[in-house]
Amino acid sequence: MRKGIILFLVFVFQKNYSQELFVVTDPASNVPANTLSVRLSQSLFKEEFVSGYNYHLMPEITYGLDKNLMFRAAAFISNRSDQLVTEGGSFYTKYRFYSTDDLNSHFRLAAFGRYSFNNSDIHQEQIEIMGHNSGYETGLVATKLIKKVAISTSISFEKALDNKPNYPFPDDLGDNATNYTLSFGKLVYPKKYTNFKQTNINLMVEFVGQTINEDGKSYLDVVPAIQFIINSQARIDLAYRQELVSSMLRTAPNGFYFNLEYNFFNVFK
Amino acid sequence: MKKINNIYVLLVSIVMLASTQANAQISKAEIRATGLTCSMCSNAINKQLKSLPEVVTVETDLNTNTFTVTLKEGNTLSPKVFKDKVEKAGFFIGSLILTTKSETIKQGAYVLVNKASSNNTEVQIQVLDKGYVTEKEFKKLSKSFKNVETYASNNEDDFHIKILN
Repeated sequence: MRKGIILFLVFVFQKNYSQELFVVTDPASNVPANTLSVRLSQSLFKEEFVSGYNYHLMPEITYGLDKNLMFRAAAFISNRSDQLVTEGGSFYTKYRFYSTDDLNSHFRLAAFGRYSFNNSDIHQEQIEIMGHNSGYETGLVATKLIKKVAISTSISFEKALDNKPNYPFPDDLGDNATNYTLSFGKLVYPKKYTNFKQTNINLMVEFVGQTINEDGKSYLDVVPAIQFIINSQARIDLAYRQELVSSMLRTAPNGFYFNLEYNFFNVFK
Repeated sequence: MKKINNIYVLLVSIVMLASTQANAQISKAEIRATGLTCSMCSNAINKQLKSLPEVVTVETDLNTNTFTVTLKEGNTLSPKVFKDKVEKAGFFIGSLILTTKSETIKQGAYVLVNKASSNNTEVQIQVLDKGYVTEKEFKKLSKSFKNVETYASNNEDDFHIKILN
């Protein structure tokens, strides 16, 4: 029954965690069962065509229903209309369907789906349902952890819908895209653990790309990041996103991420 | 009236005595978890284990991902509880070693696979079933126990054990 519901959700909403707690992508591992994770994501990207910066604030809550299934809800707030306005929100679910573990290593596969709504103006060819477009995304993610290094890759289909009520998706733009990501994470500190209170430091590099299916227009970005895990319960990410190549119109491709997260383990009895 | 009370107390005592003897009393569990190297991951397992009311303390070795769980006296926990808790955190058991009274393992749920018999009143046992050892070890064990019918059937309610002391 549960599997049926997930398959249904994935099909209906056809679209993306220590070493693998990546900043801009999600690994195949889930948050633990009965854990509530609260995150405040912020991004500050430089506008290319006008002066100034595009600021996005994204509060998120994630809940692990059981060992294989998690849900997430997020709200999108931005300064695109010169003041902070709530423009939309998003629902996300991920189901881990394959795991093979050994001492200090694992390989996992998961399927995910996301549905987002947004009422802001549509201003670029890039499709981004995390804070810009209404739409849905569905895909697969594979994550391999070997000792202190995690490698994760994903592929997904993303479709943009009208930004209701005022901004229908433009007819002259491709409304669906293929997304692909490749992420590397490494635990660099501590070399040897002593207790849960020790701060962990992870270094990450992520590659994030998109191709509009209709016209083949693409971009590829690199996102280096440093992450601090505090008290084995909280997390701080600092990352910078830089466009490497692009053949599509993007209004603010380069900028910073600053995320704060706190995990409440065993929230419900 | 007083006589009935006395008989009642006596009966209750007998029942209680009998039941505590029949209970599987695990006093300590040493769990090695697989699939993780991060302290937040270990903490997820730590918190899952601590959510059991029978647990007194959990000591963690973060470098080997070994959790030493001390349990309240008189508990009736089955080895499966530890498997469920570790898996809820998103990981798996690589080895599970239990310290228990020697009467415990004479119960039907436990199938002894090595011949070593211990005269100690307290024994250390390792659970060898699928989900309690690493996947590689399980493949090896399946070959060596191919004559043990109950092992291959992967029944969740019986536990194949090896005495370590």
